Amino acid sequence: MSETSWLRRIQDRLTGNGLDRRADWPSWYREYADSFQSPPPPGTPLHELPVVVLDAETTGLDVRRDRILSLGALRVSGNSISLADKFEAYLPVPDGFDGSESVSIHGIIPNSSRYDHTDEPTLLAEFLTYLGSKVIVGHHIGFDVEMINRSLLRHGAPPLRNAVVDTADLAKRLRPAGYWTPRHDYGLDALAKRYTIPLSDRHTALGDCYITAVLWLKLLRRLAVKLDRDLVLGDVLKR
Amino acid sequence: MPNQVAYRVYDFLKEIAPFSYLQKEDLLRVASRVEVRYQPPGTVVFRPGEPPRDRFFVVKEGAIELFSEDAEGNELLVERCGERDIFGIRPLLAKDNYIFLARAAEESLLYAVNSEGFRDLIGTYPRVLEYLATSMAGSSRYALEYRAAHRPDRAIQADEPPDLPALQSIHQSREPVICRANETIIDAAKRMTEMNVGSVVVVNDEQWPIGIVTDRDLRRSVATGMVSRKAPVFTIMSSPVLCIERDATVTEIQIEMIRSGYHHLVQTVDGSDKSPVTGVVSEHDLLLLQGNSPAVIIQEISRARTTAYLRELRDRAERLLGSYIDKEVAIGYITAVMTQINDEIIRKCIKLGLASMQAEGHGNPPALFDWLALGSQGRGEQLLRTDQDNALIFEDVTSARYNTVKDYFLKLSDYVTEYLNEVGFDYCDGDMMASNPKWCLSVSMWKEQFTNWMTETTAENMLNTSIFFDYRGVWGDGSLPDKLTQHIFGEMKFKNTRFLASLASAALQNPSPLTFFRNFVVERSGEHKDFFDLKSRAMRPLTDAARVLILQAKQGNINNTLKRYEALAKLEPQNAELYREAAKAHEVLTRLRTELGLKRGDNGRFVKPSELSQIHRLLLRNSFTPVKEIQQLLEVRFQLNYIR
Repeated sequence: MSETSWLRRIQDRLTGNGLDRRADWPSWYREYADSFQSPPPPGTPLHELPVVVLDAETTGLDVRRDRILSLGALRVSGNSISLADKFEAYLPVPDGFDGSESVSIHGIIPNSSRYDHTDEPTLLAEFLTYLGSKVIVGHHIGFDVEMINRSLLRHGAPPLRNAVVDTADLAKRLRPAGYWTPRHDYGLDALAKRYTIPLSDRHTALGDCYITAVLWLKLLRRLAVKLDRDLVLGDVLKR
Repeated sequence: MPNQVAYRVYDFLKEIAPFSYLQKEDLLRVASRVEVRYQPPGTVVFRPGEPPRDRFFVVKEGAIELFSEDAEGNELLVERCGERDIFGIRPLLAKDNYIFLARAAEESLLYAVNSEGFRDLIGTYPRVLEYLATSMAGSSRYALEYRAAHRPDRAIQADEPPDLPALQSIHQSREPVICRANETIIDAAKRMTEMNVGSVVVVNDEQWPIGIVTDRDLRRSVATGMVSRKAPVFTIMSSPVLCIERDATVTEIQIEMIRSGYHHLVQTVDGSDKSPVTGVVSEHDLLLLQGNSPAVIIQEISRARTTAYLRELRDRAERLLGSYIDKEVAIGYITAVMTQINDEIIRKCIKLGLASMQAEGHGNPPALFDWLALGSQGRGEQLLRTDQDNALIFEDVTSARYNTVKDYFLKLSDYVTEYLNEVGFDYCDGDMMASNPKWCLSVSMWKEQFTNWMTETTAENMLNTSIFFDYRGVWGDGSLPDKLTQHIFGEMKFKNTRFLASLASAALQNPSPLTFFRNFVVERSGEHKDFFDLKSRAMRPLTDAARVLILQAKQGNINNTLKRYEALAKLEPQNAELYREAAKAHEVLTRLRTELGLKRGDNGRFVKPSELSQIHRLLLRNSFTPVKEIQQLLEVRFQLNYIR
């Protein structure tokens, strides 16, 4: 893809042109879009709703500049997390990022042969197949979704269509920030500690997914107790 | 490829039987198929009658309680599964529906392990199957569990120091000497002489063993002229033969011989008599392999002149005990050996005491007497050195002489108990020793004492009964204990019901431990807080119940718990199963206590749940069931619910 066509697409996007044209989408995005079922109504009981817990490891926290290094996801249905039914993919560290500070955070050694690296379009294509129409759950998930959307955009595809739930938001609703709970207490580490989830494999995409998935189940139960009824999707979507 | 989360699951499972038996790759495959299930408190994992799931469960965190339902639909707590416990495995082996209700007692995370993938591994790992079979309720679960838990890995075994002959298998060095069934006896005998062996295996066309002829058979039949020397060997051979596998260990062979009473075992290719003979093992072969034998220790005891040397010998016996426990020698055999050794030490101490009395000018005993071992030594089931419990009985003498005679025996007992103390049998806290004037009595006084105990059924008397009724004469004239026994059974004709009911009721005073904190009732306070009292909570109820039942059956001459249950099983076929379970449970508990005691250098009575391996916890827990059932039987039989 040449730079000019890339720029044109951005312009088209900004002007509302281009990306609405199905024919220009990569075939894998078309498949995703075709089989996508409109988001479930807010009244859908949560225990009937399979979700995908997602976590992306990136080169940094700047959505404009940084890139995805690995993507992990687990499917949670009802009260079960299936380890066999996982998604896990690694990307090589893009030029200009090697040796950056991210290595020290998530220990992904640039282009290490320990991982089967894939390329971004393949990762996106496989991930969309895995994801389907399911609700996305994640911790500070806005960031991860934005990273994926930016990545989709780079490859000529529109953003994700799935409903998204942020476990950090959920935790705040259960225990609002205030004098006793400083803002930073909604990080994954602090919450995992609060809800007694062992913090192993932190900062691997799948490890964080697992911690988030357990957190999600524990938070749901507390919310159900608080509301004193079975939860529906509307209860957890961002208000 | 397994991911980090699967590795984490693997790390957790690899410490837990039966997963611990799996190779890394296999367990990783199992781990990567695990489903993590979140169970909020009060939620149900499965209900009775539900068809089996395709998964079974390991508690990752929290606690799951299993309930059974009675006819009225009341829930009865069966088990509480804490972290690392496995439940719901029944469907793995049997296509049965669930029997229990499983419900989360706390917020819990479960690892739901895929049965299908796991079932495939059973074929490759026999120990897994053994483990699973034993964790499911089954009559032979104790022995099996023990084997699964203790069978050393072959690889580890190779590294064992070579001075553990019992772990080695006997690889017979010579070709087995065989003959055919229709050969003459004289030909067979000639071959035995030529080959310098004590037996010849009789085989068929396929070399399968069909019988065996030993020196003894020859002596018995031919030498006495009962059978012609020209007769074919099959007329005198012992048949069928008992076969074992080629790689059976010395201990296995030993146990098999003790169990069967056979002196020769035939080794075959597959361990059955439907495969070719590969060798023969005789009792004599085994003896040659044994260095530190009980016989040697007993011989040394009789030669000992000081208590210091006796103590050393008792320490040696303890090491022997340790190796027996390691090698899983049958408890019945171990207790028999250790009782012999203990008895021999007691006899030696009495002899040393008598010598001291002589030396001090007190002369010979003024009357016939018998030294009585009480409690566990009386029952012949003492393995570790515990407090000494003993008493002395002397023949009736005229009232004019009574005090002088009693004085003599009290002095003698002072010496004996002191010597025993020096050997390592501590003085009894409750002073239940022959040196106590209360427990050094003439036959008549003892009779009176027992009558009193049987009439006045106070709590203290019941406690005394539980110790004194298991008396056994160890040294002396030998006739006096029988007089006492006759008296007791005579008395029981009159006092039977009430006395036995009180005894039964006393046996129930330690309730069986069925409510659990993470599977265990631990002592709530006192010196042994957070410990589980193995003796009073699990062993004592079994011992006490056996005593009551055997007294009721009027079998006074049996005073060993295992033998009591064996006898009871014969007397009451309808309860045979339960009695056998109780005996097995007692065996398992004895083994466990001995193992702990040897490891810690104490009497093994108190156990901290955390120091138990998972399999030990499982064993202990399973032994609670017969304890409870035997107590229920007592309750019904002696109608205790009406008394209490």
